Amino acid sequence: MAAADSPSTALRRRDLCSRGIRLAGKMRADVVDLLDTYVEQQGLDASAGGAAVEGVPLAAVERWDEQTGGGRLLENLAAYRAFRALLAQMLEEQREQLGEADAGLGRALAAVLLQVSAFAYHLEELLRLESRGIPGEEGDGPPPPPRLSRGGQKLRGLGVLRELAQWAVRGGGDLRQLAKAGTATGTATGGGGSP
Amino acid sequence: DSHIQYERVGADVTMKCGSMDWDAAVTWTANGTDIDESHLNGSYLILKNVDLSQSGQYSCYEGSSWHLKYQTSLRVGTPPKEPVLMCRSNNYPKGFYCSWHLPTPTYIPNTFNISVIHGTKDMVCEKDAVLKNRCHIRYLQLFSTVKYKVTLTVTNALGKNFTTLTFDEFAIVKPDPPESVVAKPVPNNPRRLEVSWQNPSSWPDPESFPLKFFLRYRPLILDQWQHVELSDGTSHTITDAYAGKEYIIQVAAKDNDIGTWSDWSVAVHATPWTEEPKHLTTEAQITETTSASTSSFMAPPTTKICDKGAVVGSGAVAVCWTAGLVVAAYSVLFI
Repeated sequence: MAAADSPSTALRRRDLCSRGIRLAGKMRADVVDLLDTYVEQQGLDASAGGAAVEGVPLAAVERWDEQTGGGRLLENLAAYRAFRALLAQMLEEQREQLGEADAGLGRALAAVLLQVSAFAYHLEELLRLESRGIPGEEGDGPPPPPRLSRGGQKLRGLGVLRELAQWAVRGGGDLRQLAKAGTATGTATGGGGSP
Repeated sequence: DSHIQYERVGADVTMKCGSMDWDAAVTWTANGTDIDESHLNGSYLILKNVDLSQSGQYSCYEGSSWHLKYQTSLRVGTPPKEPVLMCRSNNYPKGFYCSWHLPTPTYIPNTFNISVIHGTKDMVCEKDAVLKNRCHIRYLQLFSTVKYKVTLTVTNALGKNFTTLTFDEFAIVKPDPPESVVAKPVPNNPRRLEVSWQNPSSWPDPESFPLKFFLRYRPLILDQWQHVELSDGTSHTITDAYAGKEYIIQVAAKDNDIGTWSDWSVAVHATPWTEEPKHLTTEAQITETTSASTSSFMAPPTTKICDKGAVVGSGAVAVCWTAGLVVAAYSVLFI
């Protein structure tokens, strides 16, 4: 259970939530634009893909309204950390394939990567505020996804951006739920990991 | 025995008089009226190229005994064309509804069957309590990239048809228009109108999924709208209204992140505050009036910088610098 809210804690939480919400909204808009660019520049069909991509966290969730605050933070953090790694990989793959047409795409990917990192930071800060342990990153994540063919890379990239666009809406909604509740832990017991 | 018989418009219909032989003497009636023998082939009734007006009750009587030998209700109609299907979420994140209709009537009874599939999962579409061409689906999952596939099949006695819609969860989100739109003049401000509204009551959780709004307004005398997009709040003050002109104002809503804009709200009308009309005075004289007086020229209401007290009863020229504005206001009148 979280420590009793001091005024400064409540203020900090509110500040983190509102900044995170704004960031999620901007991120959503930028990812949607990036998706259009990506589909066009990679020569993909807009209806391509659709199947879940290995290693890409799925935003789909059942009983979303029943989730606890702590659960929301932990699931979001795990997802955005995964996206951080996936986007970094996409960026690296883009640079290997660097062409004039792709330079703008690379910049857009880098911008979204920054937003994802910033959102992950907000989530970590919110978890810290609730005296919850922040799950460790090093070595805890799944192994890096296999090296794919160029076509496979494109489809994986499409899957990454599509799910990230969903997570941006979910993340914003989650932070609004947290802000509404006024506490980030709900009735969850146990921490997300060791301090 | 009484039957129902469905036939297509334009078809040729042959009715047999029950078990009567072909050469039996019979009388056919349509809705109680005898049918001319020219339509008979023996005891068979022949209706060629039937049209809608020939729907009705057909009866066949034995010639001499006038016993009823056969009766059928003929319903002339058409097989269904491809139905029109629409799905929309006006109550995200609770669920969505689908509604449908036929582009042209069939004139005979139709049954509609709808299936909703999310990935591999069949979903239940609950009938609307009031509208028989609508049903509701509850979201079991949110934020899914898996598309929904809705298939509507319409069947009647003459044929069947269907249509399919495939869509993303976010794509069909469209709130209802804002409610309770109110526009009021602002006292002592001839160019302002205060507009307020409420979230549509069907939007279940505006705290988690806030709406943004689009306001449009124009004076009735002009065709061009002014637009303002508002990312939060449910009120706005228009500050550039033409003085004295009646305005029409509407508001639309959209989720901050997903879906499309609602339809425009019901239009409201308002006119900015105007000062009580005053007579323009000339250099020749200023008459202190305590009762209504006639004047050949009435100044239109407009913002005045000069002190009202200096105008009345001063005996001096009281021409406000807003005369230019007065001219401008009159120009608007003649647009």
